[in-house]
Amino acid sequence: MNSDNMATRTASHSERRGAHLPPVVVYDNVRKLYGEFVAIDGVSVQVNKGEVMCLIGPSGSGKSTLLRCTNALETVDGGRVLFDGVPLPTDETNARKVRRRMGMVFQNFELFPHKSALDNVAIGPLTVLGISETEARARAMKLLEKVGLADKAGNFPSGLSGGQQQRVAIARALAMEPEVMLFDEPTSALDPETIGEVLNVMKRLAEEGMTMMVVTHEMAFARRVANWVVVFDHGKVVEQGPPGQIFENPTAERTRDFLGHLGWNG
Amino acid sequence: MNLDWTIVWQHRWDLAQGAGLTVLLTVLTMLAAVPAGMVLALMRLSRSRILSTASLWFVEFFRNLPLILVVYWAFYVMPVFLHIEFSAFTTGLIALCLNVSAYNAETFRAGINSIRKGQMEAAIAVGMSRWQAMKQIIIPQAWRRVLPVLASTWVSLFKDTSLVSVIAVGELAHVALQIRSSSFRVLEMLTAMAVIYWLMGYPQAKLADWVHKRFEVKE
Amino acid sequence: MELDFSPLIDSWRYLLGGLGITLLLSVLTAAGSLVLGTVLGLGRVYGPAWLRVPIVFYIDTQRAIPVLVILVWFYFAVPILTGISFHPFWAALMALTLHIAAYVAEIVRAGIESIRPGQVRAALALGMSRTQIVRKVVLPQAMVRMLPSFGSVLSITIKDTAIAAVIAVPELMKRAETIAGQSYRPIEVFTTVMVIYFIILFPGSRLIDRLYQRVAHLGRS
Repeated sequence: MNSDNMATRTASHSERRGAHLPPVVVYDNVRKLYGEFVAIDGVSVQVNKGEVMCLIGPSGSGKSTLLRCTNALETVDGGRVLFDGVPLPTDETNARKVRRRMGMVFQNFELFPHKSALDNVAIGPLTVLGISETEARARAMKLLEKVGLADKAGNFPSGLSGGQQQRVAIARALAMEPEVMLFDEPTSALDPETIGEVLNVMKRLAEEGMTMMVVTHEMAFARRVANWVVVFDHGKVVEQGPPGQIFENPTAERTRDFLGHLGWNG
Repeated sequence: MNLDWTIVWQHRWDLAQGAGLTVLLTVLTMLAAVPAGMVLALMRLSRSRILSTASLWFVEFFRNLPLILVVYWAFYVMPVFLHIEFSAFTTGLIALCLNVSAYNAETFRAGINSIRKGQMEAAIAVGMSRWQAMKQIIIPQAWRRVLPVLASTWVSLFKDTSLVSVIAVGELAHVALQIRSSSFRVLEMLTAMAVIYWLMGYPQAKLADWVHKRFEVKE
Repeated sequence: MELDFSPLIDSWRYLLGGLGITLLLSVLTAAGSLVLGTVLGLGRVYGPAWLRVPIVFYIDTQRAIPVLVILVWFYFAVPILTGISFHPFWAALMALTLHIAAYVAEIVRAGIESIRPGQVRAALALGMSRTQIVRKVVLPQAMVRMLPSFGSVLSITIKDTAIAAVIAVPELMKRAETIAGQSYRPIEVFTTVMVIYFIILFPGSRLIDRLYQRVAHLGRS
């Protein structure tokens, strides 16, 4: 990060949402390699409590990789990832415990096709938390109501549209009562008509104060809902700040390039 | 239990000849059954209902019968219906060909069908006839998907040649069983038979694996 | 050419008994090889190296040796080695089960490997353990996908039982041979038996197809 960015960061840092509380996730000079390819190249970012952080940037710039390192689906090759002040465990048993406290939503929804919508949402509490079946199903039903799909509880994924599947996927992640929600390009695989219904659910979640990290190409969403935006390019953080700054007065050349390329005119 | 393994060495040339015949049967069958399978597949996919139905019945018939029965049936029925006396070798070969052609027909049909419909449409939109589209666009792509299955069929065929031993064709199984009968060296000959098949079959199975890996289609 | 089906009509009970043996042997073999094959398949995919290597060797060996050879070896050679002699039916059951189990193991492996890695990631993200993921997410989907292949296992089993005739198991093929030999009417006998086998095998594959269409969506992720 150049000194320009440092200045910007420090200036709005105290006004940043959740700044007075300890951060939920901290990336401390994280590096990740795939063979020779450097996917994440010294990224230092922190995620505050109750904050909606959007990660934007060109494809392959490391955003999704960073997300997958956050809940230990992948390991880092350098630096540390701290969750709730504690470095991520390297052994499987403890990594599992950490994963239970985070929720993840995938680009391809990844609902379990052999289970109904209700059972998909209930499977986490049932299998992982050991909650009784009646209680798990009751919790699942409430969450389906929350995402507006109570009437589809008995449907299998094959009988749901993309947008509906993704909303069930969000409910499934919420069923674990996570402390932070990780969204990996949640709307990239959706038809334009159904993108809206998913973004609305995410917006409501944000309004309720959930800490969220969202990798997305939906710039309008980032502009309106994000509290903090981080711009990636080639595995590095090019710029970060409140959406107002990133979208209206970007300080980094790369940010301007990227947004201009997308046809973003503010 | 006294074993005499020298019996195997004594009959090594007979066994080698048997093995050679096994290989010959396999090669000849495939040489006939691959084109036959292609013809059957194209018949099935053609617009003509007669050709399509005829092919369907042929394929379903031979895929739903035990090969050993087809071998016996060919041996007894063909000379009567066709008024020609075939050698046991030819009879066995014909039975194998009928069987494998049916399987190949399905393989080719599935391979052709797996090429997306859009390819055919694009070719026709450019002005090709259905036949040209088949020849230039569909079939060249279908080969990749077909080759691994053909490799597996080859491996199965190699083993199935043992079934023509029941009509006294002198391939490996028959030769080994004959020596067993005449020498009473049961364990030695049966083990030798198994080992020789293993020595020939194992590399072929591994080769088929390689073909699968090499031509794997990742959508 | 005159056809005389009377030997068949006279021996219809005998033939029917043979059919019964065929079906019994087939069902028992299919059940046994499904169980053994699934165990082998799971061991192949999830087992430690010392388990995987012998299993792979076993599977590849079954791919290399004809069923006929295994049947004959079991019936004639095993008694010499162990001193126990088996009734042809049991020898055939053991030999066929061991052979077809290898085929089932490969089907299981292919089924498991066809499950999208994304499914595993989603299950991990929820905090599931590896065992839970295999039991609750991978295997149920894999089972659905493997259904058509399992159907063909039954079909192949029935066809392979006919080979058991060479070790004198009194199933349909063997009895057909006997009647044909005694009556000198091989054409009528073998043609009839052909029809019988076709009637058993053909609807089976159609049924499996139909069933699969119904449940296929449960395996599509």
